[in-house]
Amino acid sequence: MGAKVRVVERKGRTFLEQLYLLEVFKGMAVTLGHFFRNLLDNSRLYVRHYPEVRPEISPRWRGRHRLTRHEDGTVKCVACFMCQTNCPSNCIIIEAGERFDGRSEKMPLRFDIDLLECIYCGYCVEACPMDAIRMDTGIFSVTSDNRESMVLGLEEMLRTPGAFDEDSYQKGVR
Amino acid sequence: MSALDIIMILLRIAFGVLVPLSFVAVLVWMERRGAAYFQDRSGPNRCNIMGFRAGGLVQNLADAIKLVFKEDVVPGHIRHKFYFILAPMLVFITALLCFAVIPFADVLLVGGSSYIMQAIPTDIGILWFLAIVGFGVYGIILAGWSSHNKYGVLGGLRAAAQVISYEIPMGLALVSLLAVYGTVNLTEMAQYQGQLLFGFIPMWGVVLQPLGVIIFIVAAFAETNRTPFDLAEGESEIVAGFHVEYSSMKFALFFMGEYVAMFVSSALIVTLYFGSYQIPWLATDTLLAYARPVTVLLMIGLPVIGYFFGQWIKKNNSSHYRREHDPRIRETKVYIALLWSLVVLLEVICLGYLLFAAGGGADRILVALLQIGTFLLKTFLMCFVYVWVRWTLPRFRYDQLQKIGWEKLLPLSLLNIFITSAVIVAFG
Ligand code: SF4
Ligand code: SF4
Repeated sequence: MGAKVRVVERKGRTFLEQLYLLEVFKGMAVTLGHFFRNLLDNSRLYVRHYPEVRPEISPRWRGRHRLTRHEDGTVKCVACFMCQTNCPSNCIIIEAGERFDGRSEKMPLRFDIDLLECIYCGYCVEACPMDAIRMDTGIFSVTSDNRESMVLGLEEMLRTPGAFDEDSYQKGVR
Repeated sequence: MSALDIIMILLRIAFGVLVPLSFVAVLVWMERRGAAYFQDRSGPNRCNIMGFRAGGLVQNLADAIKLVFKEDVVPGHIRHKFYFILAPMLVFITALLCFAVIPFADVLLVGGSSYIMQAIPTDIGILWFLAIVGFGVYGIILAGWSSHNKYGVLGGLRAAAQVISYEIPMGLALVSLLAVYGTVNLTEMAQYQGQLLFGFIPMWGVVLQPLGVIIFIVAAFAETNRTPFDLAEGESEIVAGFHVEYSSMKFALFFMGEYVAMFVSSALIVTLYFGSYQIPWLATDTLLAYARPVTVLLMIGLPVIGYFFGQWIKKNNSSHYRREHDPRIRETKVYIALLWSLVVLLEVICLGYLLFAAGGGADRILVALLQIGTFLLKTFLMCFVYVWVRWTLPRFRYDQLQKIGWEKLLPLSLLNIFITSAVIVAFG
């Protein structure tokens, strides 16, 4: 079995290209074309005026976390610690407590995610056996001026709704 | 010395100092907006004072305020504090001094005496430039050495090596130019370029020295440490090169020095090769003879330019997304009102000149003003070429830089001297 040899054509060895000056002028013509196109009509810039115009987020996009509920409003999470164990950056801290709503024996009393340490890998979502934690809030910009408020608590995560309907979340497309 | 003499001296010095300084602001703005437009971005367009953004110029103000109020750090390991502080000043001052000999209008005759329109009215011209511009790199070397930092030293060394290799082709390109003009005096060179070749081509340096202009421009780019020759501050290999230890206003001086140097070398390229202050086909004498028709033409042309500029502002100074109480509508209105009041003001001045002052001294002043305007416009365009090249070409590697300098430019400039002198001997 002979190895396939592909001869790559070398570019840039002709005399005119070696002169360099001609190629410089060609390149400058290209950039000047862009310049004038944008100068004469700046609505053609490939720019999103960000804080005012938001990008469209795909349902697959891993945004800020949230905790989901059953139809009857009870918390889905059973405090199994799967996500905490799986988290590569060790930023999930769960405290489990006894549960009385008949769903199971345990539920989280405290569920903190330190968003400063989170790398948004999504492993917590993959690990969860209850589909209790999701990253489908569509929140992509988490900012604050102190460290304490970057720790996401149980209440906050239960309160945030998902940004997509169930169908498109399952399919991964809108 | 009469009062007029003193006024003229002050005016010329003010021009020689204030114009490069105010061009720094314009050039920084042009670099940013130009860079953005070359790359299909929008550039600084948020910073404003009460909603007025002046096309992004306000951003410069914000930057200046930031740099002024930054802490001025002199790192503890620096042993020669004097040289460390001297270096940015040297860069800045030499850049500014170079402009002093560049003429910005033809010799002005008012009140019975003539004034050479240079900040320093001397006739050593290009020699002064060569002497001073070579000195500018001392600032860079000094900065690199006194920062006591390996990146700084490497940056300084690179700058030194680069200047040594490019000063030679630059000097040789000038030699053939001097052979053509037969003078080192920049004002005389500019007057020479007001002539016509074969009666219809303006006798600019670029026509007489097509090879020389390329060599000179390439060498001038290298001399000002601009891309593609800015490997003295190649941030990918040596962080920031010679100014790595500098902060706050000392860094700002380097930064401004770079832009002043860019402005000055553009001005010099324009003076040597692109007809200086000469308006093509309209030499000073012709302009003086036809001062009135030219003014009338100007009065017709101004509103036309104003109209198109206004349309352009209206089209581009708008929000590209839905906004409530769009502030840009008011902004655009104010800009257009300002534009038209400027046009009206100029028209009134022109009219006043036509009715009351035409002939004699006023003609000369009008011509000088026109020439200053032409000179600044040409220099502005040349600065744009600097920006344009910076955002088109990648930086050279060190060996490529030396190869181009010694193996390409040097033989070419020698060839240029031979050809030029042969032509001069044959026809001159
Ligand atoms: S996204 Fe990754 S890093 Fe963040 S909490 Fe989940 S598992 Fe941890
Ligand atoms: S979120 Fe899911 S994986 Fe994490 S503790 Fe709750 S049930 Fe277990």
